[in-house]
Amino acid sequence: MKEYLKPKSGFRTIFFIGKGGVGKTTSSAAVSIALAKKGYNTLIVSTDPAHNLGDVFMVKLNDKPKKIMKNLYAMELDMEKLIKNYLRHLEANLKHMYRYLTVINLEKYFEVLSFSPGIEEYATLEAIREILQEGEKWDVIIFDTPPTGLTLRVLALPEIALIWTDKLIDLRRKILDRRKAIEKIQGERKFVIDGEEYKLPSDEKEDAVMRELLAYKKEIEFVREIVTNKDRTSVVAVMNPEMLPLYETKRAYDSLRKFKIPFNMIVINKVIELEEMHPKLKVRMEAQERVLKEIEKEFKGIDIVRVPMFEEEPRGLEWLEKVGGLIVGS
Amino acid sequence: MFEELKKFLKGFFGSFKARSTEYIEFEERELENVFALVLMGSFVGIPSPPTTLVMRLMPHMVREIYVMQRRATDMDDIFGEIASMFEIT
Repeated sequence: MKEYLKPKSGFRTIFFIGKGGVGKTTSSAAVSIALAKKGYNTLIVSTDPAHNLGDVFMVKLNDKPKKIMKNLYAMELDMEKLIKNYLRHLEANLKHMYRYLTVINLEKYFEVLSFSPGIEEYATLEAIREILQEGEKWDVIIFDTPPTGLTLRVLALPEIALIWTDKLIDLRRKILDRRKAIEKIQGERKFVIDGEEYKLPSDEKEDAVMRELLAYKKEIEFVREIVTNKDRTSVVAVMNPEMLPLYETKRAYDSLRKFKIPFNMIVINKVIELEEMHPKLKVRMEAQERVLKEIEKEFKGIDIVRVPMFEEEPRGLEWLEKVGGLIVGS
Repeated sequence: MFEELKKFLKGFFGSFKARSTEYIEFEERELENVFALVLMGSFVGIPSPPTTLVMRLMPHMVREIYVMQRRATDMDDIFGEIASMFEIT
């Protein structure tokens, strides 16, 4: 069995990425079954808003882990609910300071906010973080992700968030330094708004903003530690033997490398293998051959697995186990 | 009599103290303003830090937002503020 799929230090996280419709869900479900059969306590999570993990297993799933078979649990994140919760939290926080802010009409603002760019990525990242925080319950956690673009942005977020957080911490430190200097001469300072008096914090431990910044940094570093650690995370790209999925996989490979996220395997799904060549399929077969050669050339050092196109759709446990065995290896 | 002298001295030294920190206070206000602006930048078209982070910091940002609002009102007379600090009349 492939080393990068086994849990090494703590639990193993595996992300399945790829263009829409290439068979990510089928491949990830197949791998989850294969791993469960090998005795690893496995959780498979679908983060794709267009859920079809349940369809592949032929069971109804929700946002709580549901037992599929021995050692295997599956769940589907309810993105709409997540975004709603995320915004409700935001709304509660903003209302808390509403009396100081008279410029925003909150109700209207929140109606549009759920459609604003970025919200889905942040909500997904939060959900992934929550799952990883309880990750010790499992040996392997498999994420079946939405099409490449969104996933790459989610995986890039910890790195970007850390850059922002570090900059804000620097700036905050400067403010606190100035406050401390003034405090040394003038003594403790009070700050009055609308007749209410606040003490102006000058110490890192006293300052709620700094405390939040440091707490957030810790949480995000935790996610980044996991997703950039090759002993804990593997990314598996799923693609079909066609040009467009190849380009997309190449782009994903480049950007994951930039963020130091380990990319280990490409599953080429639906490879047509014919014993007798049909003349009408000749062009298609040649194109497929070209893509397969290109893949070997482009992705050196990365494990490549071919999954043939089966006569029938691989659904249900038996079929999935067969495909899973192909991908995971014995 | 003694009380009044005490009050006078307190005011006298207080004004010294205030003068001595004037520049640092100006710098502090500017930094606080920038901090709030960065977090609420999306209102004025500046790229924002992660929403989660903004959302978590906002409830503690009373002072900074207050400073930012005041800065916005005084913006047209920023030169006046600097001039008074350097005692240019």
